[in-house]
Amino acid sequence: MREILRSPTGLAGSLLLALVVVAALFGPWLAPYDPQAFHATARLQGPSWEFLLGTDQYGRDLLSRLLNGAPATVSFGLGATMLGVGVGAIIGVVAGVAGGTADAVIMRILDGVLAMPELLFTLLIVTLFGGGTGQAILAVAITFAPGMARIARSAVLSVRTREYVLAAVARGESRAWIVGREVLPNALGPIIVEATIRVSFAIMIGATLGFLGLGAQPPSTEWGLMVAEARQFMFRNAWTVAVPGVAIAITAMGFNLFGDALRDAFDPRRSR
Amino acid sequence: MTHFTLTRRHVLLGGLAAAALLPHAGFAQTGTTAAGTPKSGGTLRISHSTRIATLNVLNLSGPAEYPVADMIYSGLTRIGLDNKPHPDLATSWEASDDASEFTFHLRDNVTFHDGQPFTADDVVATFKAILNPDVPAAARSVLDMVDAIEAVNLLTVRFKLKTPFADLPFSTAHANARILSKAALEKPLTELDTKANGTGPFKLETYDSARMVRLVKNETYYQEGKPYLDAVEMLLFPDLTAETANFLSGQTDIMLTVQQADFQRIAGAAGVEAKRVPAGRYVCVVMRQDQKPWDDVRVRKALSMAVDRGLLVDVILEGLGRPAYDSIVAPELEFATDKPEIAYDPEGAKKLLAEAGYPDGLKLTLVASDRPAIRAQTAIALKQTAAAGGFDLTIQTMPHDTYLANVWQKGAFYIGYWGMQPTIDATYNLLLTSDASYEDTAWKNKEFDALVAKGRATVDPAERARIYAEAQALELEDRPYIVPFFEDVLTANRDGTENWSVAPISRYFYVEDVWLDRA
Amino acid sequence: MSLAYLLRRLGGILIVLAIVTLAVFAVTMVLPGNAALMILGEYATPESLAAMERQLGLDRPVPLQYLDWVSGALHGDFGMSLRLSLPVSQVVGEAFWNSAALAGTALAGVIIVAIPLGAVAALRRGTLWDLLIGLFSYIGTAMPEFVTATLLLIVFAAPSAPVFPAGGFVSPVEDIGGFLSHVVLPATTLGLILVAHISRQVRSEMSEVLSSDYIRAARLKGLRPGRVIRRHALPNSLAPAIAVISLDVGYLLGGIIVVEEIFAWPGLGRLLIYALQNRDLPVIQAVTLLMAVVYALSNLVADLVIAALDPRVRYA
Repeated sequence: MREILRSPTGLAGSLLLALVVVAALFGPWLAPYDPQAFHATARLQGPSWEFLLGTDQYGRDLLSRLLNGAPATVSFGLGATMLGVGVGAIIGVVAGVAGGTADAVIMRILDGVLAMPELLFTLLIVTLFGGGTGQAILAVAITFAPGMARIARSAVLSVRTREYVLAAVARGESRAWIVGREVLPNALGPIIVEATIRVSFAIMIGATLGFLGLGAQPPSTEWGLMVAEARQFMFRNAWTVAVPGVAIAITAMGFNLFGDALRDAFDPRRSR
Repeated sequence: MTHFTLTRRHVLLGGLAAAALLPHAGFAQTGTTAAGTPKSGGTLRISHSTRIATLNVLNLSGPAEYPVADMIYSGLTRIGLDNKPHPDLATSWEASDDASEFTFHLRDNVTFHDGQPFTADDVVATFKAILNPDVPAAARSVLDMVDAIEAVNLLTVRFKLKTPFADLPFSTAHANARILSKAALEKPLTELDTKANGTGPFKLETYDSARMVRLVKNETYYQEGKPYLDAVEMLLFPDLTAETANFLSGQTDIMLTVQQADFQRIAGAAGVEAKRVPAGRYVCVVMRQDQKPWDDVRVRKALSMAVDRGLLVDVILEGLGRPAYDSIVAPELEFATDKPEIAYDPEGAKKLLAEAGYPDGLKLTLVASDRPAIRAQTAIALKQTAAAGGFDLTIQTMPHDTYLANVWQKGAFYIGYWGMQPTIDATYNLLLTSDASYEDTAWKNKEFDALVAKGRATVDPAERARIYAEAQALELEDRPYIVPFFEDVLTANRDGTENWSVAPISRYFYVEDVWLDRA
Repeated sequence: MSLAYLLRRLGGILIVLAIVTLAVFAVTMVLPGNAALMILGEYATPESLAAMERQLGLDRPVPLQYLDWVSGALHGDFGMSLRLSLPVSQVVGEAFWNSAALAGTALAGVIIVAIPLGAVAALRRGTLWDLLIGLFSYIGTAMPEFVTATLLLIVFAAPSAPVFPAGGFVSPVEDIGGFLSHVVLPATTLGLILVAHISRQVRSEMSEVLSSDYIRAARLKGLRPGRVIRRHALPNSLAPAIAVISLDVGYLLGGIIVVEEIFAWPGLGRLLIYALQNRDLPVIQAVTLLMAVVYALSNLVADLVIAALDPRVRYA
């Protein structure tokens, strides 16, 4: 951790992440107003002392909505990534450990899935599931899984020939023991690094799905949806779209920077 | 036989003793009197942002498809700005005393765009196609009482009805019941998607569903001297912002539909005339009455009292509409009664809920489709105003296809959205009678059914007014729907585009009366 | 690289495409409702719905519909759009060229901007320039297209003082000036993430090349620095950039879906969303298939380029 904070990108990433985490954990309590309450006499207003970031088309307080939407937005990214990484890692480790025909078949299928552009694939899956937050999480996870499986597999393969694994094999340890005690812990590094960077993708895709009307649904305060709902009014009050838009960018950037720093810490050779 | 006489300036309708006086020689009453004498020539450019996906007049339904159909085709009758049927290809008509048989006298010397003469055979072929269950035809539901249609002679057709129906001239004016040529109907009907041969004021020149539909003047249109315009271009703008920008900069003459959010800005722009047409399009709250808690009229009335109609009109419609008071009958319709105002009274709502056995209020899920956005907007606003009345609503928004397949006509509590119908009979038979086309509320009332049935078979207008007043009173008493507001039809034209008007039912546009005064 | 390898790759692509069409078909069949219901909407009666389904051929058994579609597609006949009353090939063909014009412009812009940016960052390592370019690339990769697009619209297309049109399309064949003014904002949106991505790639590759032995040797020979960069450093760091660019075509294909929707660009992305919303299966099929083909081919090209440029990579 100290190493991460030492690099400027790591420091910036950590600071941004801290901000996001605070908002995600305490946002709903910090919000000055009920995020759904209409202030019919104060519609589409710019920032003022009463409404620090202005109001939307129903006169709802933008700051309150932003804070209220933070948990939904961040947990979407984390949830989808963990699910995708989890499933992908299991598939990858299984393929890597099993080897042979099973490995070949699994990798062929994954190649097939990877032959679709990511957003297109997600879009098709969400359409199949019918739209909504849960469905969108599932779709992003399914999209992520093949890529993660590849990374996990190659991590396993590279570890498999290391001395300590060979030693364990020579000692006559069981296969499960080797995988659980030797292979997994050592393959975990690349998986965690990739996962952190993936969170920012997941947040961006989640917000994009919300924007397209396929993810979170009104009256949710998910940030992508906030942009979509206010788009009709963006020229009357730019704050309605700028506030959630910039918040998405800051969150994604936080995870990106932090992930990069994490990678450098794990793998000093790649640091620039 | 009651005889309906018709002269060029006087139309007698449904035995109506008073004649509807028309200001112009043409039948489409235009709201504003045009400045100066109409000039001929010029190309009118109309912008729209929804696709013209088909030209098939039998089942087209897009907001930009209707004006094209209205320009290319004529009907037997056509609805005017006064919401009443006027002669189009039929110059006059008469009904038997019991309204079970109608005879239409057709206009002489009318030709289709391809030069073929228009005769009774075309009318018969068209209505036979509409009534054919193998043909997807939107007008069938308003014509299903027709038993037989026959050509009496070359210029007379007779409709025989299974049940008496005084409003038949409204049905023949249906936007999807325009007259096609017999020859076109004998070919594969899919050709109607892209080709058009009508008798209307304009002929199809170009159909490019991705960009533009261009129509040119029909030199042999039956109204002499009309249309004034040489051509009309329907320009598809894929996006509202782009459409508005092009309209404001003078690239187009008419913006077919203006969004509420943009109306003020457009109305305030120089050289532009934005128009509000009070109309009968409405959002309604559907409550399935064969299920708890909606089987109790007190719960429905409580929710109604918990709707702040003023706020909804302000916030959702930007003030461009009128509060409605739980009747689906638009105030513009013949025989519509004045509905008593329903004040926002959350305390009263709570009390009524308690009376109905819900002293702690109700927790419910309200479903709204995501298209058009006004459904979800209404749901969100409703949640806010109903909370004070003891209703704790969870809003569930979903994609339109899922909504249509899973919720519509099945769900217990959702947001409906309907266009204006031409008559009370059509309005009630669409949604509220026991054998309505769409029974989404499951509301059944024998007395109401009997009144509507009697109304459609009655010819005397005073008697009809009495019957329909009773039916509307029943509707309010039993409150099958909550109707928070009627939405205005919004359109805009640039200065120098004279006589542009849209009927409240927004299916009729009278473009033959439009002319360009370009300095 | 052998011909066998190429054939095997192409065979793989064909198998993937077959799976894609089957999957798309299955997906749209599982979904509630169909195109007929979407056309009729709330004015659908059971009777009119049945008639519409008959007219569209949706009443036939599902496997039969699929087989019909496949045999048509193999003969180059992709059928009629269910919603647009036009042949699918025409609808999709037009949209493809519109998308290609947008993606091509974006890609050209990206190459013009990203390579110099990356090169500058590498040559001026550790300076303010490097930092600024790095910062820019971080911001660029963190902005989803819809955010970039919306912000660009507010700044450059506000109705009070529009610099560029807020949306729409003008064919480059008919009016190149109109095309350019319409393409600026969507292409910028589409290009931003790519510029960030590619410039970072060029920077790191070039840094590596600059510290390599042969560059040092060239410098020791006394060649002028400009010449060293132009003749040696840049070409050698370009190969990976080209590979990255072809891989980024996949990203472009996703990006156009959002960007075209926002800027009302009548291309494949917008068509796909329209078709998905209207359950227009033949159009969904054709667009998905086309996107998968483009993606697969660009991946193949990327691999071939890498192989051609780097003698160490050999495909058996």
